[in-house]
Amino acid sequence: MPASPDETTPGTPATPTAIDPRAPRFGAGITAVLLVVTVFLGLSGFTTAAFVLLVIAAALFAWGAFAGIQRHPYGLVFKRVIRPRLAPPAELEDAAPPTFAQGIGLVVTGLGVILHVLGVPYALVIAAALAFIAAFLNSVFGYCIGCQIYLLLVRAGVIRRHRAAIG
Amino acid sequence: MNWTASLAIVLGLVSIAAALGLVWRARTGRVRAVHVGAEVSIIRPADVASEAAFGQRATLLQFSTEFCAPCRGTRVLLGELAADHNGVVHVDVDLTDRPDLARRFNVMQTPTTLLLDGSGAVRARIAGTPRRDELRSRLDELPWSPHARIA
Repeated sequence: MPASPDETTPGTPATPTAIDPRAPRFGAGITAVLLVVTVFLGLSGFTTAAFVLLVIAAALFAWGAFAGIQRHPYGLVFKRVIRPRLAPPAELEDAAPPTFAQGIGLVVTGLGVILHVLGVPYALVIAAALAFIAAFLNSVFGYCIGCQIYLLLVRAGVIRRHRAAIG
Repeated sequence: MNWTASLAIVLGLVSIAAALGLVWRARTGRVRAVHVGAEVSIIRPADVASEAAFGQRATLLQFSTEFCAPCRGTRVLLGELAADHNGVVHVDVDLTDRPDLARRFNVMQTPTTLLLDGSGAVRARIAGTPRRDELRSRLDELPWSPHARIA
């Protein structure tokens, strides 16, 4: 079966898929708003509502991390609604970096969900606040979380990867 | 917690994120001079598993990973600078599966670019997408051979 060029799975990116770099930044903007509302509700005592929003955020991160950023619902909204109104992008970008960033978002919000269920105080608000900062920096400043964190995780031994046997 | 206090904390959170972003933007891509002898002194192509030879005048040694969006733009930028300058070569090293090299050259983020002189000594280090004009003027300052000036 011929390999489709956008069959990119987390951890083993095959052929890089090119996407409009504005798509993940648009999505990160929506995510940042969702997370800041989560923080507000969590602080104001609407714990159940905040918990539901954090679960939704984690589920959306999981979608982006496992299906690839190019199949994320926000990306599809961007493609159908926003992009037709904009000029074509100056250049395209690989899908692997924003897909990796979705995985980081999943870990942070997922830990928040689990720790909250275990009864850890403020876990929900802190996880939402950390994920908000990352999403905000990505959306507003074009900050690339994979650039800053991937090598640190590899050097710390958190991520282990082995190149497919070439020689 | 009442709504006013929550709102104040949320506004504080947004301000912190904005301040972090401004600091990051002010720092990223600056060309920082490395004093000879302060770091791994001489780098040779074999040290970074490069098959390409280094430049006689200078080498723009870029470190990238697969999870780095601006590495692509940096590749284009450094390629153009190398093409514009005689004796300058651009070499891109993928660290995705090479934590040993990341440790050896103390690379914490990508893209990181080392500016090597003709002898392979590290003269400058740039974290983030390099600022074109700053790097160009640093390149123009480099003599053809680091030993030529002493003679």
